[in-house]
Amino acid sequence: MPASARTTLFRIAIIAAMVGLLFSTGSATAASDGSGWEDASARDPMERVNRSFFWFNDKLDTYTLAPVARGWDWLAPKPLQRSITNFFANLRFPVNMVNNVLQGKFGGGAITTGRFVVNSTIGLAGLFDPAAEWGMAPQPEDFGQTLGRWGTPPGAYLVVPLLGPLNVRDGGGMVVDWGLSVVPFVVNGWILMGGGALSTVNTRAGVLQEVDDAKAASLDYYVFVRNAYFQRRQALIRDLDVDEPTTTEEDLYDDSWNEEPGD
Amino acid sequence: MTRGTKSQATNPRPTRRETQHTLRPSSTRHVAWPTRETRRRGAATLLAAAALLLAGTTTAGANGDAARAAVRATTTDVLAVLADQELDTAARRQHVENIVFASLDFTTVSRLVLARNWRRFSEAQQAEFIEEFKSHLSRTYGRNIDNYSDQRIEIASDRAEARGDWTVRTRVVRPSADAILVDYRLRAINGTWKIIDIIVEGVSLIANFRSQFQEILANHDPAHLLKLLRDKNLTSEPIAAG
Repeated sequence: MPASARTTLFRIAIIAAMVGLLFSTGSATAASDGSGWEDASARDPMERVNRSFFWFNDKLDTYTLAPVARGWDWLAPKPLQRSITNFFANLRFPVNMVNNVLQGKFGGGAITTGRFVVNSTIGLAGLFDPAAEWGMAPQPEDFGQTLGRWGTPPGAYLVVPLLGPLNVRDGGGMVVDWGLSVVPFVVNGWILMGGGALSTVNTRAGVLQEVDDAKAASLDYYVFVRNAYFQRRQALIRDLDVDEPTTTEEDLYDDSWNEEPGD
Repeated sequence: MTRGTKSQATNPRPTRRETQHTLRPSSTRHVAWPTRETRRRGAATLLAAAALLLAGTTTAGANGDAARAAVRATTTDVLAVLADQELDTAARRQHVENIVFASLDFTTVSRLVLARNWRRFSEAQQAEFIEEFKSHLSRTYGRNIDNYSDQRIEIASDRAEARGDWTVRTRVVRPSADAILVDYRLRAINGTWKIIDIIVEGVSLIANFRSQFQEILANHDPAHLLKLLRDKNLTSEPIAAG
């Protein structure tokens, strides 16, 4: 059963998250060079295990997913790819809606609802996004972000087979979000599986260049991804487009220690 | 700038995207961004975004108004280069890259990226690091410049930061995908505003490289890191066409 396959996947995620939690309570120490900037992205007590899963995922991607995605990218016109992205994004309505509200963003919740109504009807079942052009920009939120907004730390970094980079908080959030989405319970398993595959391939096709760039631009691709994932999630939690100084990262830009001969 | 010449030639390799889209006029269609600043539009490249902000702008001190005015003036200049139909893609790219090289302060970038590890490098090693890191960034960021030709850039807003730094926020609007948020962090260095960090969708280049270098330098010496950079630069696709 495809549905059970998917369930198994999430079981793996939960188990991995729990294992991560166990490890993180004990030995999580962030690397620091003593410059006052603590590299919080490096809280990675399971680095050896993570690196092996990362290697596995990367090979799987290189030899299966990426080639299929490249074929799909060649085959499917950009507008079609865009519409498929829109379609699956529209299905995340319950998740976005609930998490907006849970974060106290009632305006965001209202816009999310408006988007769903408009895009599901005028937008032809979500294939198009007329709502965005009418001033209702997407308000994506997930439970990992909700937890983060209320102060839950990310916990240890995890690389989960088939799922990729996560941390304890976001892994737990993913399970909750999965419970929030109605789709898995009402749709035929085969359709669900096909949809999942299409969504995965289509999403991968959208970042072919970006992944190649990341590999070319990094000296340690594993650390690149770990750090990018951490920064990205932190940015999403405090909402990217909020216009306030980045006070928490201030020490990042401090090089005054450079002039001081002592400490 | 000894390596500047290397990257001034261009990569002629045509891409599928390039053939699909021509330079398109700007449109206001999917803009749901509350800009209080003037919105600048036009086909541009990611690298151009850097150029938009800074090239050759000077100010007496870390004054926000001066920074903003300078950014606006430079934006106009670069957009003029990009809109110049007389220039082919290669020439346009070369112009933009020259401006970007002048806009980034590679010494500050290198110091921030290495943080306290900077001190473990000898002076010669520091100089080599600056050059190799510059070369690395140029190779990795310049290699897809063709793909950005169908994009346009909007300056969203700007704000003061600690230490007199300034952040200018931009949006790279793409025709068939979501817009990308790119923030530039600027610092007045010797009276000139220079880019010291590029933050793409919340991911800071400085923080990301620092994390990588820290992990490497935790177990190895500076010479090893320099060797890694050198090897990477040798194996990565050169930008120079000839």
